[in-house]
Amino acid sequence: MKKLNNNLKPPFNLKTIFFIFLFFIVFVISAQRVGIPDIVDRLYEASLDLIGVKNTSKINEGLSRISKEMWPPVVESKKDINLILNFDATNLPLFSYVKVYKDKLYEINPDTLLLEEIEEKEIEFLVEPFGYLKLVFIKILESIEIAFWASFISIVLSIPLAYYSAKNYSPNSLIYFIARSIVSGLRAIPELISVLFMVLAFGFGPAAGIMALGLHSAGFLGKFFAEDIENADTGPQDALIALGASKWRILKLTVLPQVMPQYVAYLLYILDRNLRMATVIGLVGGGGIGQELKGRFDLFEYGHVTTIIIAIFLVVFIFDQLSAKLRSKLIGD
Amino acid sequence: MPNILLSVKNAKKTYKGGVTALAGVNLEIHNNEIIAILGSSGAGKSTLIKSILGLVKLDTGKIFFKNNALLGKNFSSLRSSISTIYQNFNLVSRSSVLSNILHGKVSKVSSWRILFSIWPKADQYKAVSLLEEVGLKGMNYNKRVENLSGGQQQRIGIARALIVSPEIILADEPVSSLDPETAKEILKLLKDTAKKNKISILCSLHQVEFAKLFADRVVGMSNGKIIFDKSSKKLFKSDLNKIYK
Repeated sequence: MKKLNNNLKPPFNLKTIFFIFLFFIVFVISAQRVGIPDIVDRLYEASLDLIGVKNTSKINEGLSRISKEMWPPVVESKKDINLILNFDATNLPLFSYVKVYKDKLYEINPDTLLLEEIEEKEIEFLVEPFGYLKLVFIKILESIEIAFWASFISIVLSIPLAYYSAKNYSPNSLIYFIARSIVSGLRAIPELISVLFMVLAFGFGPAAGIMALGLHSAGFLGKFFAEDIENADTGPQDALIALGASKWRILKLTVLPQVMPQYVAYLLYILDRNLRMATVIGLVGGGGIGQELKGRFDLFEYGHVTTIIIAIFLVVFIFDQLSAKLRSKLIGD
Repeated sequence: MPNILLSVKNAKKTYKGGVTALAGVNLEIHNNEIIAILGSSGAGKSTLIKSILGLVKLDTGKIFFKNNALLGKNFSSLRSSISTIYQNFNLVSRSSVLSNILHGKVSKVSSWRILFSIWPKADQYKAVSLLEEVGLKGMNYNKRVENLSGGQQQRIGIARALIVSPEIILADEPVSSLDPETAKEILKLLKDTAKKNKISILCSLHQVEFAKLFADRVVGMSNGKIIFDKSSKKLFKSDLNKIYK
């Protein structure tokens, strides 16, 4: 009995304690460096504010500047009819109407150096009740299209990449190495950075976004797919090797059916990810709803921003539900 | 004396790490003959079968099929007369029964047919008729293989082996993952189809009583060498004691 105890490794020893201590020190230093205490401070303050013990908090101050303007979300669009080319008052778009807003014009009096009202002007605006919603819809559709095309490009690119970066199918180690490097390289550059280069190459708009997202996710799919090919059950593959089948035939008949469910899962994940990223890359010129979001944010039009955020949330949520259904349909029996 | 179909001459194989699997094996298989290889684990049974299949490369020695060396250019053309049945069936579990049987024809159809999984009509009819031959008459052949029992899967494995109209079937412990009752049925099926279609069988087995029932000839192996090679009717306990220590 005693002998057995001697042979067993203790669950922890001095080394373990040392490493725990070391980890704790690094943890504390790093927390100080990145401002974790400040986060705790502010959250504490805000919670006191919330229950009414204290009446100022930095979080509240920071957000209150825009929170009032963020609600309600803007759905209508207004446009000065003088800026509309060939405006025809008898033939207005559906549900829209013309509304008159009074606007005052000011001028600096050169004698007194004061602002003086010189005239009150009436400006006619064409109001479309759901005009902005329509614009958001068009823009978000563009984002969805970016996501789909990017995913399509990534599928096309990932198939050869996966084939050559799967160790058991790559023709030789040099090609294997090159394919693996490409796959890693594609994943290494974040979309937000690569889209900057793509904007230079393809210009502002959806094309840049599609290329940036497509290349990045091709790296992901290529890696995952290659690893699945490597891990596939070798039994059926041996059976076909023994029958004298060529490599790609073996891949098509035995490996593909095995890895397909996993591949569909990856694909749906990539599609989901591309959809979310497609809304972001617009911020740096990649087209889609992100461009609109950035524009409105910079113009302090926070009501519009709320509309956009709600729209993005809805699209992502609906896609989530759809992909769950699609997955069970494609993978299930 | 019937013709020699397949012969193994002085086969030697040592794996990396110094394990000798085959230490000079000589074996002749005649037309329409069923041979069982007996031996404990590590005796070299699997290596012998794999080397005939070309999955293991021999260090020295040659394998002849109908007096042609089973090498290089000859290999793929001669291979089409050799079929295999595996211990773990080696079927594609997510594919259908029919497509698994058709996989036997993998190197005999054109590329576009493989790409789009469109098999020739004649092959499809043959696959369905083979399903009947292996005792799975009336089975839904669009069913996925993963939903079948072990015995059924091995029957499909046999159908896949038969679709190329082979002259010899190699079987590496085809029944060791099945229960004894099913194993007996599968071996009986193999024997009956082999006798009917004039196919030779080289089959490694674990159970002596199966070998006696199933085979015409029994070969005993130990430590990579053939210890005895005799008719199954003349098999004695003393022979078996030499290979099972």
